[in-house]
Amino acid sequence: MADSSAGLLDPAMLARLRGLRLRARTAVEGYTSGVHRSPFHGFSVEFAEHRDYAPGDDPRYLDWKAFGRTDKYYLKQFEEETNLACHLVLDTSESMRYQSPAAVGSKLDYARRAAAALAYLILHEQDSVGLVTFDCEIRRFVRASGNPSRLNDILRVMEESPAARKTSVGPIFHDLAERLKKRGVVIVLSDLFDEVESILGGLKHLRHRRHEVVLMHVLDPAEVDFPFDAMTLFRGLEGRASVLADPRALRRAYLAEFGRYRRGLQSGCRALGIDYVSMRTDCGLEAAIATWVAGR
Amino acid sequence: MMTLLPACPLFAAHGPWSSTLHDSLFATHAPLLSVGWLAPAMLGWLAVAAAPLLIHLWSRRNYRETSWAAMECLLAAMRRQTRRIRFEQWLLLAVRTLLVVLVVVAVAEPRLESAWPTVSPGGRVHRILAIDGSYSMGYQLGGKTRFDRAKDVARRIVQESSAGDAFTLVLMGAQPRLSATAVDAAAMLDEIDRLRLPHAGANLRATVALVRRVVESVGREKPRWMRHEVYLVTDMQRASWSPAAAEPARADFLRQSGELARAASLVVLDVGQPAENRAVTSLELLEWPVTVGRSVSLRVRIKDFGLQGRKGQPVELRVDGRRMERKEMDVPPGGEASATFDHRFRSPGEHLVEVCAPGDALEVDNCRRLAVPVREAVRTLCIEGRPAGGAFHGAADYLAVALAPRAGQAGPSEHAPVQADVAPESAILERNLANYDGLFLCNVAQFTASEAKAVDAYLRAGGNVILFLGDQVSAERYHRALGVAGMPAGLGLLPAEIGPLVEQPQLRLDPLGNRHPILQAFRGRGQASLLTTPVFKHYRLKTLDGSRAVTVLKLADGDPLIVEQPVHRGRVIVVATSAEPSWTALPLWPSFVPLVQEMVAYCLAGEMRQRNLTVGEPIETPATTGRTLAVQAADGRTSPMTTRIAEDSLLSYADTSESGVYTVRGGTPSEHDQLFAVNVDTMEGDLSRVEPETLRSRTWTGVPFAYRSIRPDAAEAGIRVAVDGGTALPTELLWAALGLLLVETWLGWKMGYHDPAIVPGLDEGVDA
Repeated sequence: MADSSAGLLDPAMLARLRGLRLRARTAVEGYTSGVHRSPFHGFSVEFAEHRDYAPGDDPRYLDWKAFGRTDKYYLKQFEEETNLACHLVLDTSESMRYQSPAAVGSKLDYARRAAAALAYLILHEQDSVGLVTFDCEIRRFVRASGNPSRLNDILRVMEESPAARKTSVGPIFHDLAERLKKRGVVIVLSDLFDEVESILGGLKHLRHRRHEVVLMHVLDPAEVDFPFDAMTLFRGLEGRASVLADPRALRRAYLAEFGRYRRGLQSGCRALGIDYVSMRTDCGLEAAIATWVAGR
Repeated sequence: MMTLLPACPLFAAHGPWSSTLHDSLFATHAPLLSVGWLAPAMLGWLAVAAAPLLIHLWSRRNYRETSWAAMECLLAAMRRQTRRIRFEQWLLLAVRTLLVVLVVVAVAEPRLESAWPTVSPGGRVHRILAIDGSYSMGYQLGGKTRFDRAKDVARRIVQESSAGDAFTLVLMGAQPRLSATAVDAAAMLDEIDRLRLPHAGANLRATVALVRRVVESVGREKPRWMRHEVYLVTDMQRASWSPAAAEPARADFLRQSGELARAASLVVLDVGQPAENRAVTSLELLEWPVTVGRSVSLRVRIKDFGLQGRKGQPVELRVDGRRMERKEMDVPPGGEASATFDHRFRSPGEHLVEVCAPGDALEVDNCRRLAVPVREAVRTLCIEGRPAGGAFHGAADYLAVALAPRAGQAGPSEHAPVQADVAPESAILERNLANYDGLFLCNVAQFTASEAKAVDAYLRAGGNVILFLGDQVSAERYHRALGVAGMPAGLGLLPAEIGPLVEQPQLRLDPLGNRHPILQAFRGRGQASLLTTPVFKHYRLKTLDGSRAVTVLKLADGDPLIVEQPVHRGRVIVVATSAEPSWTALPLWPSFVPLVQEMVAYCLAGEMRQRNLTVGEPIETPATTGRTLAVQAADGRTSPMTTRIAEDSLLSYADTSESGVYTVRGGTPSEHDQLFAVNVDTMEGDLSRVEPETLRSRTWTGVPFAYRSIRPDAAEAGIRVAVDGGTALPTELLWAALGLLLVETWLGWKMGYHDPAIVPGLDEGVDA
């Protein structure tokens, strides 16, 4: 593994995540066979290989003959299965740079590590993975590939993407929907500080293109709990104005407002069939990913 | 309605905090309730009430900084909550400020009280200003006496009254005096200015009775004054205001007080404060009579009325204004100390002895004076009823020897203290009895009318008569000429009726415990001859019930041997036996000398009592035909003496309301001045006070009245007073502060100033 990945990939964590398999819930288009259903019929149906049965696998594909010989469950893999093309969409706007004292790192650090882990998982399953970084526009676009070297590409690009500029999430999703021609999985890692309607509009466009979308909402614990207890000058990131406020007086109202915003996102995602994953940067990344994957 | 009185309610001049007692008492729409302060200086801490506001402003200037991503949510929250937050902040600020104000006000000990117990709106008001005239009001603080401040209060009340109101000024003294009644405020102010502090006590019972009569009188004669208000300006001294002060006739006192309270509003204005005092309680001569060249001892007693006492209290003896001796005494707290001064008078005449123990704020009782008439010698005239051919054949000779045992032995520079002239009965009329201090009548058979009249005149002038009876005495003629006190006939000069002659020897005497001053010389001397003196013959004396006669000495059979009684300005002593050895062995016994001399001394002590008076007692001196006398009072004023009772031939001067030296001057240069020392009754020196609660519950039980304390405040120059009394408020205020503290805590919690962990449901509906 390249040196550049050393900071984002923790071998111990990867070892624990290795048993997980990321599957597409919907049909995806791929060039090679894989574990994901293909929308195309009449494609090769020849037997390819066996693999170990895992809970959740379709029992129709169990090889009973092999079971009779070995007393173990094997799944038959056929050539008609296609591979998954997943694009990790990483928000690198200035707001992702925020880190409260309670958090281990910034939201961007957390999102990068999540993206690296997901890329590793996807490639490990012989699927394709790509990376898109954006702030107010798409900055870098690494097309999905199943080549293991793609992981290094992704890690390098993430390392080269500093947090800067404003966010404009909704238009980015529209732009991305136009760029991604083949149906696949789009995993968004962002703090999503934009207008909810705009975000949902972009996501709707992606869903219209038949992409499976996963929204990983990366939040700092301070943004969730608003734990300030003294008069504070809040300096707005991404060019927003500063505000002097007594957080104790505002806390209840802020939390209500923040909850309303999150509930709006969550309900919109639910309506669009999008996985909404809330991630706090003070919580372990491994648990967050494992919980999400297991829930699919 | 409530009026907040400032620290200086009576004397504050202007400004928003200058509501005055007057404002609460005399305004057209006078408030029913007002608040005064026990510790007004504490109100300065009200500035702390600005602390919450300052902390709020300071916190806005001292803030943390943080970058923030979720700015849209924050701004939205602010937009939604600005008005609510601002309201909550003001509310919280107000609660915290009020909390501080309540605590400070509670510490300042406010008193809520009703200004007018029986107020009725409208109409003219008759205000009775009764100022305490007890000498404790002379206590000085800050250059002013309590009496001065009481007058200030009275002036203020007059000045702030409405036109048409009437005033009556009463001096609450030992004998309360109606000083003036006026409608004109200026005239009343003049009367107040002229008011002088007497040096006596105060009689609350008599004052209430007087004020009640005034209210009744004005109410009956001047019905246009619809309301009566009585202000008792006093230092609340226990001697004047304790329940015991109303005794006896307490029931009558309460009845009169109740009637007064129904007819008028009673307001007690307290200008006193706890204080310490020491007083010279007595100054007395230990030897008497005082003659030129004879050393006499003077005993002075100093009492501490307080808890501090004083070590090294300086005491100074002055004679005729010249400092003679100075001592230091240790006066224990609440106790008494005494010291003795010795002095020898070098010239005859009137002398003034003065002892002063300065050092406290009540000066009136720091000095005590003694007017001492000093003689060349005490002159006595011994009348022999049975003229005898030789020496010691008559009783008068024995008496003369007993009176002047050293006659003829004294050197040229020495004066015998007593001179005794022996003369026959005719001397009663022939000699000027006024030249003698004592007249001994021995075995005088009878008195003619002119002789009786001469004796009577002698007694009226202050002379002293000592009668020794004998075989010539005719009781019936004695009774007829001299008369027995308490009997209608005669001049009433004899202290006892002379009964039959008893010839049964009596071998023992009963001294009655040596209680009488005449027997003082025998006190503690056991069997010193007097008790076993035989009396062979005596007349049975009988004192009448209700008379002022006192038995000095009794015989073994219970018959009085010596009886005495004050008569007019002098004294009459009757001895039931004769001064001859045939009647009793007394003239031959050593005890006869001190007995006779003590009789003289006792008689002359009456002169000391007449010269040394207590405040309020009249100065009296015998009148002589065509004689005019004037008194120069202690304050320097000179007034003529007036005839008190024509029959008594006495000139009198009653206005001894102030302590000091009064000089009676004769109308001609040849007449000698007479000094009279007027001293205070030092019971008033005890400055302990009656608490308002005691006044309310015990002295004036059931009598409605308002109480206010007007005390000096040392925090400011000049007079500053605070009003207290009525209902104490600090406890209620502290409860209110505690309530506000709970409200503040609840508000803080409600407004989000609390631990975020206890806010439920904010993250509700958001899946993790």
